[in-house]
Amino acid sequence: MTEKQLAKEWEPKIVAIVCNWCTYAGADLAGISRIQYPPNVRIIRVPCTGRINPFYILRALQEGADGVLVSGCHPGECHYITGNLTARRKFAALKSFLGYIGLEGDRTLFTWVSASEGDRFAQVIRGVTDAVRALGPARKLVKGPLKI
Amino acid sequence: MENVEKKLREEAKSLLAEKKVDVVVGYEKGTLPLTATPCFITTPEEADRLVWNPFCVQNLAKFVHDLLGQHHEAQKRVKPEARRKKVVGVVARGCTSRSLVIHLQEKQYTKDEIIILGVPCGGYLDGKKLAALAGGEEIREGSLDEGKIVVKTVSGERQAALKDLLADNCLVCRFNQPVIADIRTGEVAPVAEAEKEYDPVTAFENLPPEARWAYFEKEMAKCIRCSACRNVCPSCYCRICFADQSQPRWVDIGADPSDTQLFQLMRMYHMVGRCVDCGSCTAVCPMGVDLRKFLKKLDKDAFEMFGHRAGVSLEEPAPLGAYRETDGEDFIFEPGKKIEA
Repeated sequence: MTEKQLAKEWEPKIVAIVCNWCTYAGADLAGISRIQYPPNVRIIRVPCTGRINPFYILRALQEGADGVLVSGCHPGECHYITGNLTARRKFAALKSFLGYIGLEGDRTLFTWVSASEGDRFAQVIRGVTDAVRALGPARKLVKGPLKI
Repeated sequence: MENVEKKLREEAKSLLAEKKVDVVVGYEKGTLPLTATPCFITTPEEADRLVWNPFCVQNLAKFVHDLLGQHHEAQKRVKPEARRKKVVGVVARGCTSRSLVIHLQEKQYTKDEIIILGVPCGGYLDGKKLAALAGGEEIREGSLDEGKIVVKTVSGERQAALKDLLADNCLVCRFNQPVIADIRTGEVAPVAEAEKEYDPVTAFENLPPEARWAYFEKEMAKCIRCSACRNVCPSCYCRICFADQSQPRWVDIGADPSDTQLFQLMRMYHMVGRCVDCGSCTAVCPMGVDLRKFLKKLDKDAFEMFGHRAGVSLEEPAPLGAYRETDGEDFIFEPGKKIEA
C-alpha cells in the first residue's frame, strides 16, 4: 500500500486514562444509555487522576498513541477530596512544557466528566477524536520506525 | 573576595575547633589553572585549603544531601542509644542555599544538621566560555586580576573581562546572597540583570512549534545518557531514579532518540518549582546540551502559574505538592472549544 492509502485508512488511536469514580462511571452511563461515540479510545481505569504519573502520558505517546485524554472528577468532587486538585497542577505544568518543546496541544488533553454526565462523555470523546484526527498520525516522541 | 575567603577560613576553623560541625563542605584550589573543586574539611588545620572565587562552580547542596543521607542510613544499624547526630557545615552561595531550603522543605534533613556559611556571589566562570577563549587549547597558566582573566596557552596569551566569561545563569541571577545562612561572611553582592531572566524563554516560546521541536530534537540528539546532569543536580536525590528502575522500566535504555527525549523530558519535568538555576547540570554536561532553555521554562511556569520561586521560603511547599482552589483551568478541554497549542 502506498503511504497515501495508508494515511487514508488511518484511524486515530487514543488512550483515555480515566478515574474510577467519575469519568469511568460516566462512560458506563454513556454505555447503558446507548449513546454513540467513536470507537477510537482505549480506556485505562485508574483510582484517581492524582494517581496518574505524568510518565504514563509520555509513555503512551512513545508507544504510538496519537492522543492521550485524561479525565477525572470535576474539581471539588474528588472521591479522595483533593486528588484532582493536585493533578490539575501537574497537568497544567506538563501540558505547558510539552507545548513548549513543540508537541501539538491537542495530543494531550485534560478534562473533567462526572458520573452523571454520560452525554458529556460521548461529546468529549467525539471532540477528542476530531481534534486528534485533524492533527494526523503522531510523529513526535514516537519510538521506532513510523507505525501507521 | 580575599576578605570573604579569609573570613570563611576563620569561621570554618572555629566551627571545627569547637566541634560544632563534623565536616565543612567547601571548595579548594583545583589541580588545573582557573579551577576550584569541592572538598571536605574535617580538621581545623585543613581549613586554610578553603577558597572562594569565581571558579567555584558546583552546587554543594548535593554533597550535603549525600553525606547526611548516608549518615542517616548508617545510623539505622546502630542501637538507638548509641546513635549520634552529624552536623555538616556548608559554604553556600545563593543557589546552594536555595537547594538547601528545598531539601529542608522536603524533609531530607533538619535545620540543626547543617550550618550554612553564607558567601556573597558575583557569578562563576563558565568552563565552556573559558575553553572558547583559549581557542580549545590547553590552559597552561591563568590568572584573575581585577575582573580580568588572563590565560596562557601554547600559542600565546589571551585575556578577557570576567564579566564576559560568567555563566549564563549567573548573568540573570537574582539571588546573589544566600536566602538563609547561619554565618554570613561578606558584603551584599550586586544583583545581576534579573529582569532579563525569562527573555530567552519568551523568545523561544514565540518561535513556531516546528522550530521548537527541531531544536529540542537537535539538543536531545547530543545527549549520551551519561546521567551527569542527574548526578550533579541537588534536586535529583531519589534513592532509585526512574531512569535506573527496572520494574517498571519507565524509560528504555536503547539508542532510539525517543528514549533519550523521554529521559530528559521526565528528569526536567521533576524540576517544576525545584530548579534553582544553579547551572550545575549544564556545567557538567560533556556534550553541551542546552538544558537550561527547557529548565528555565519550568521555572517560569512555576512562577507564573503557581506564584512559586524555588527554594525561597521554608514555609511554602513545592508547587506540585500543593494546590489552590483557584488554580488556572484554561488548559482544560471542552468539546467544541478550540484550545491553543
